[in-house]
Formats: sequence, C-alpha cells, structure tokens
Amino acid sequence: MDEQDRALVARYLEGDGEAAGDLVDRYQTRLFNVALRMLANVQDAEDVTQTVFFNAFQNLRTYDPRYKFFSWIYRMTVNESLNALKRRKRTVTLDDEPDIRAPGAAADGVAEAEDRVGRALMGLRPDDRAVVVLRHFVAFSYQEIADVLEIPVRTVKSRLFTARERLRLSLREQVS
Amino acid sequence: MLSRDQIELIHREIDEANTPQESAAFRALMDENGEARALEADLRQVAGLLGQAGAREPPPHLKRAILDALPQPARASPASEPAWRTLRTIIGRAVGGLKLGTEHLGETIMTKKAVLIGSAAVAVVLIVASIVTGWPPRGDEAGTIGGVEPAARYHGHAMTEADVTLKNPEIQTLFQNDQILQLVRSDAFRQAMQNQAYRLILASDAYRQIAAGQAYQQVMAGQAYQQVMASQAYQQLMASQAYQQLMASQAFRDLAANSAYQQVMASQAYQHAMASQAYQQLMASQAFRNLANNSAYREMMNSQAFRDVVGSQAYQQMMASQAYQQVMASQAYQQLMNSQAFRNLENNSAYREMMNSQAFRSIVASQAFRALQASEAFRSLAQSQAMSQAFMREANRNQN
Repeated sequence: MDEQDRALVARYLEGDGEAAGDLVDRYQTRLFNVALRMLANVQDAEDVTQTVFFNAFQNLRTYDPRYKFFSWIYRMTVNESLNALKRRKRTVTLDDEPDIRAPGAAADGVAEAEDRVGRALMGLRPDDRAVVVLRHFVAFSYQEIADVLEIPVRTVKSRLFTARERLRLSLREQVS
Repeated sequence: MLSRDQIELIHREIDEANTPQESAAFRALMDENGEARALEADLRQVAGLLGQAGAREPPPHLKRAILDALPQPARASPASEPAWRTLRTIIGRAVGGLKLGTEHLGETIMTKKAVLIGSAAVAVVLIVASIVTGWPPRGDEAGTIGGVEPAARYHGHAMTEADVTLKNPEIQTLFQNDQILQLVRSDAFRQAMQNQAYRLILASDAYRQIAAGQAYQQVMAGQAYQQVMASQAYQQLMASQAYQQLMASQAFRDLAANSAYQQVMASQAYQHAMASQAYQQLMASQAFRNLANNSAYREMMNSQAFRDVVGSQAYQQMMASQAYQQVMASQAYQQLMNSQAFRNLENNSAYREMMNSQAFRSIVASQAFRALQASEAFRSLAQSQAMSQAFMREANRNQN
C-alpha cells in the first residue's frame, strides 16, 4: 500500500494532476469515515475531509517519504477532527443526537446500530474515541494506531481497553 | 474478580493480537472462568455493533469538492500559497474584484462585494476614530477619556476636540494628513461618533480585543494604511455620488441588516467557496475579465462548496428578499460598479499593500473581528443615518 502511495505522491509532485484524483479515491472514504465517527456529523466530516486533503496537498513537498503516507494523512484527519470538536465549543453528550446516517439510506437494522454506536462513541473522550475509531473502523493494528497518533503502543492498548469497557457499559445502558 | 492481565488477554484476543501461547492461555481462561466468558461475550458484542455500523460512503460530490480546492501540482510549494484563508479574501476582493458581467451568480458576488465595501468603510472609520479620539482608552495615554467609568462611556458624552489626545504618535502622523483631519473635524463625523451604535461597538468585547491586539497596532502604524487613507483613489470612492447614494439607500441598509445575508456571510459553505483554490485562481487570473471563457470560474461555480452556498436556505432567503432586489435594481449600485473611483481604488497600490499586509490579515482573521462584524451594534452602525451622513457630507465638501 505504501509503495502505491509513494508513487502517487511522486507523480503529483512531478505535475501529474490525475495523481491527486487517485489519492483522493484511495483515501476519501476512509478519511471521511474516521472524521464521521469522530464528529458524528456528516457535514463536519465533509469539511474535515476537504481540509485534510487541502492541507495534505499543500504540504506534500514537506512530506518525508521515509514515513508512511497513510499514517501522515490519518494523523491529520484525527487532529483536524479534534480541532473541529474544539471549535464546536460545546460538550457532546450522550443526549446529543448523532447525525451520521446520511448519506446513503441505511437499512433499518444498520441505522439502529449507527445510532447506538454513534451515541456511545460520542460519550467517550475524544482521545479514546480516536483509538476506537482507528481500531474498529479502519482496522489498524496497535502499532499502526500508535504511529498515527504518535503515542506508545501501551497507551494505545490502555485507551482502547478502557474505551471499549465504557462502550460496553454505555451500550448496555441504552438497551436497558 | 478478573485480574488486569486477564482482562487485557481477553481484549487482545478480540483484537486478534495474541500470540499462539497467549491464545491458548485465553482459551484456558474461558474454560474455567464464567466472569471471563461473560466479559468476552460483552466485548464481542461491542465489537460486533461497531462492525455492524460499518463504513459510510462519502457524499458523491465530495471528491469533486476536494479536487476543486486543491492547488495545482506545479504550484504545490507551500511558499507559493498563502496559508491563511480568511475574511481577508472576502474583504480584499470586495474592492479588489472586477465586474463579473451579466451572469446571475456573478451579480450576486458583486452585490456581496458592494455590501462589504460599506462594512469595510465603517471599520476604517471606526479604526481612525478610535485612534484620533483615543477612545476607548488603552489605559496609559494621557489626555484620553480613560478616566470615564465603563458604564458611562456611551451615555451622553458628546465628543469634542478636548477628547482628542495628541500624545499618541499614530495620531500625530494622522494629523499631518489634511484629508483625515478634515474628516475628523467635520460635523458629520462628530455626529457619527456620538451615534449610540458606534458607542456600543466601542464598548463591545470584540472591539476591545481587536484594539488590544498587536496586529491592530501594526496596521495603524503601517505606512500603507496611511497612504490608503490619504490616497486620492480612496477619497474619490468615498466621495463618489454613486457610493454615497448606495450607502445612504434604505435598500442597502436593509440588506446589510438582513439576517439571511448575515447567515450566508457567516456560513461555513460560503467561507469554503471563498477559500477554494478555484476561487483564488479565478480572482487572480487575467481571464477573470473574460468570464464566459474562464474555466476556473466555471469550476468554482460547479464546486460543491459554491453550490452549498447558493443552495442554502439563508442564501435563498437573501436572494428573494425585497432588499436585495432593490439594491440590485438601484441606479446607485449600477453607478458604483461602473464608477472610475471604484476602479481607481482597486488599482491603488497602497490599498493593495494594506490588504495584503500580514497585520491586516491577522485582524480580519481574528475571532474578535468576526464577532465584531456579526454584532448587532456593528450592523446598527452600518445602517445608521449618522454614518451615512458623515460620508455624504464629507463627500460634498471634497467635491466642492
């Protein structure tokens, strides 16, 4: 995966405009979903995704190819999502209604799961939520999460286990 | 009671991160410990729910919107593109823009620009006035009205020349400019200074934050700012009959005070459209003057960000408002757009220098400035008769 990323980055820097479209194709869905799970709002997730790509392409010349492109761009996405949360200037609680169903008409069962998961996720601390999102929605390993978030693996585990325990309790409360 | 190690063992098994030996230990734990089995079942249920939520497809327009906003590969150097994407763009283009021709959306943009001209003009007057009068006080300037208690600041204090501090170096510089001095001494200006809305602005937290900022101080001290204020082009614009008529028109005031318009200007979608690379390219391009053939223009018009703006309810409200229709149809608006004074100002190098200065960017990008613009007091001032009269009278004096 990383070789393809490097090749696309190199093509873009050489002036190949189509490489930008290819990179967007490769990452827009994943980045959008990370932002969506972090923010529980489709419009905000769109904004974050756009901003991340804009910043990424603006700074591609400073990107060090020795490092993994996906770690870099996922890190930007998480950070931009955290910034967006700060900008909201309000505390998102379990009472807030997540707006993550659209786009795409989800089946009823999936929609219900979306709502339950969305509410439970938003009850987590943003840092913990980022770990859960990267683990469960991007399927990153502990090490990959550590690389993205630039934290030790043991911290990843600690946050993930704690967050999952909270999710367990939260989802149980929702059921009851 | 499960130990910490046992709990972690279960979590790692769910994450498929255990070694074969650890997985064997996990299975043994499951065989002998009911609590562990219950926890494992719960955690798998959580993981299952997370997986069931799955991935959402991004909106179909997202890719186009992303690509619209991207810099061209050849210009990807960070140094070649400004990092800020702020109201500076909007305000700078407000006067720096050219005619957009007969396209409906183009007209819309020009209308926004015209409105923003008024907004920027008010801001300039505020800035000048605050420097010349030293009000609100910054605390350590002799001769200001700093001793007045905050609560009394905007109640019944008529500004006189005694209130004007002469110890401030910026003011000394300004007083060397005849036109500024003439403006400040005018009855119309005094009337504006006594305007209740003006006083409310100066008393606002937003204004105080701006005035206390380093960027504000830099702009005030900048030569470019001085040159703009003294420039013939600026004076011509302010003095032009068309501008006066537009500023004084009830339709313009209604539009500026229109909540729908305020919503559009503050909307993220509008900000995105203004900040998009396509828009930036468009405004900077030579082909801007030949709009119909300009691909960047088409790209921007087709961008999702722009569509978000024109598709927003607030935008629709504004377009449908009587105030908007009146402004668009007014002769004053047409005259302003066609006036030589308008063209002169946009070509004025000092003006451009100020608009491009880091200090000015910092101000207009600041939260405080945004808050100020959004404040009710600012809107009131923009539509105040006193402010319109101030401009009109000074214009008449200059013309005479």
